[in-house]
Amino acid sequence: MRESGDFSSGLVLLGLAFAVLALQGCVVQEQRPMTRIPAERAIAEVPQQELLDVGIRIFDPNIPQDEKQLEKDRIFPDVRRAESRYIPVTLRDTLERTGYWGQVRVLPPGAGGAELLLDGTILESNGRVLRLDVTVQDSTGRVWYRKTYQGDADTRAYKGGPGRPADPFENLYNTIANDLLEARRRLSREDLVAIRQVSELRFAAELAPYAYGPYLVQDRKGEYSVVRLPAEQDPLMRRIHGVRERDYALVDTLNEHYAAFGAGMSDPYTNWRKYMYEELEAEAEAKRQALTRQLLGAAAVIGGVVAGSNSSGSAASAAATAAVIGGMYAFKSGFDMRAEVKMHGETLKQLGDSFQAEVQPMVVDVEGRTLQLKGSAEEQYAEWRRLLKELYENETGLPAIVGGAADGSKPAAGRR
Amino acid sequence: MTAEDRRAQIDRRFEETFAVFDERMRKEQETISQERAAGGGAGSGPGMQGYPGETSGSGTEGQQGEGGGEQADGGGTPGGEGASGQGSSGDSGEQGGGGGVGGGGPLGGSGPSNVPADIPDGRDDDIVARQLREAAMKEADPELRERLWEEYRQYKKSTQ
Repeated sequence: MRESGDFSSGLVLLGLAFAVLALQGCVVQEQRPMTRIPAERAIAEVPQQELLDVGIRIFDPNIPQDEKQLEKDRIFPDVRRAESRYIPVTLRDTLERTGYWGQVRVLPPGAGGAELLLDGTILESNGRVLRLDVTVQDSTGRVWYRKTYQGDADTRAYKGGPGRPADPFENLYNTIANDLLEARRRLSREDLVAIRQVSELRFAAELAPYAYGPYLVQDRKGEYSVVRLPAEQDPLMRRIHGVRERDYALVDTLNEHYAAFGAGMSDPYTNWRKYMYEELEAEAEAKRQALTRQLLGAAAVIGGVVAGSNSSGSAASAAATAAVIGGMYAFKSGFDMRAEVKMHGETLKQLGDSFQAEVQPMVVDVEGRTLQLKGSAEEQYAEWRRLLKELYENETGLPAIVGGAADGSKPAAGRR
Repeated sequence: MTAEDRRAQIDRRFEETFAVFDERMRKEQETISQERAAGGGAGSGPGMQGYPGETSGSGTEGQQGEGGGEQADGGGTPGGEGASGQGSSGDSGEQGGGGGVGGGGPLGGSGPSNVPADIPDGRDDDIVARQLREAAMKEADPELRERLWEEYRQYKKSTQ
């Protein structure tokens, strides 16, 4: 009987302790400052022949069609569309700062022709986590790597103050830059030369396939290699170089638009991510608390009930009753916390809708300008193609036959 | 015409089209630079620096800036077959119009000028304050707007 009384008292005390703990809520986890990952920077000038030009295509925003999925994953389509441009711009700036690369450009969707091409898909982005799928391949078609990157936000970026990271996901961008550099280091100088040659010939073959298609072959894996090189004084190639310079100028102009877009979006986007981060953290905390309160409340009720049935003294019985009441109260407060969780969910939705309304005109604007520039350039490209064809026929006396890759090589993939 | 003459003719045409294209890019870049210098590029009006909730006023201003810039950029688009360039001003105008989608119309009266001088920039607003701010900025009725701003002031005081 004595043992039973001790057991009951123990349960009661445990139940009361649980109930008190539950009502006090959970301990907020201390966050240590995130270790910063620097992007490796060149300390000496990289020889020109080792500098590869990089093209970063506008990312795939990865927007689900299903409305329920959008809501569940908290994806705001216009925000995603904006991010699909903003992230490549940030990555471009990161790569440029390393000094290990030639020209780094953001390319419109579908564009090619870069010596090194980086494609990405946004898997998750909400101010707390950024998850990207990245594929890197060079102009020969060789895939350097495909990798999923995930980074947690460095909250110092949200707080301001000196020395804060420029972007909450700076570590992720720097990791991509470092991986890219590591992959490049695995290539020989000959590989780098071949990448540049293939890039140039693919561009030439896209403009004048009858002349330069046979200069390249594609193997079974779809990778290109150079069969032969044009003569140094090749008049057609001289003109193609001129067209390529204009092509770079066009992409550089597009990049000015993207840069303006990135600059305009930067502050409100950082603010949005900051508030999203806070709400997501608060929501997660509320969820944790709700669950803990319900679990501990239930434990206190059970403890109190068991202790009550085993106790004989009035004091023990009163304590057991108190534990049951405390437990029920904790249990109820757990349910109340669920309402708070829902409130955070609503807030997150409002934040997304609000920012979406702000960023949508910016996306429409930059997209419109891109299309306009590309559209007018298309006309010009058609003219240059025609002139190149005339020049070829004039120089060789042969008709320019498209698809004249007599050796069976496929025409190079088009730049646009 | 000899092959040499024909080559010279084609070369001339290349030079002409290159020049037209270069000029078009130069103008476009100049326009972008001007817009960025004015702080209005790509929709980044003054209020864009603030909180997402401040959508209406800032967006309007940014978009209007762009529209103007595009229309000013009426440089010839190089056309085909040696034409001296078909004007792209039509395109530009269309572009400007497109840019205005998010900012014009009903939000026209809700620019930053409607924010009373004593109202802070809203960077540290919580969700309630943001709702009040947004409602006040969108409100067309001046009396009601002032009442909303008053609510905002009271709320901000209570949270400080």
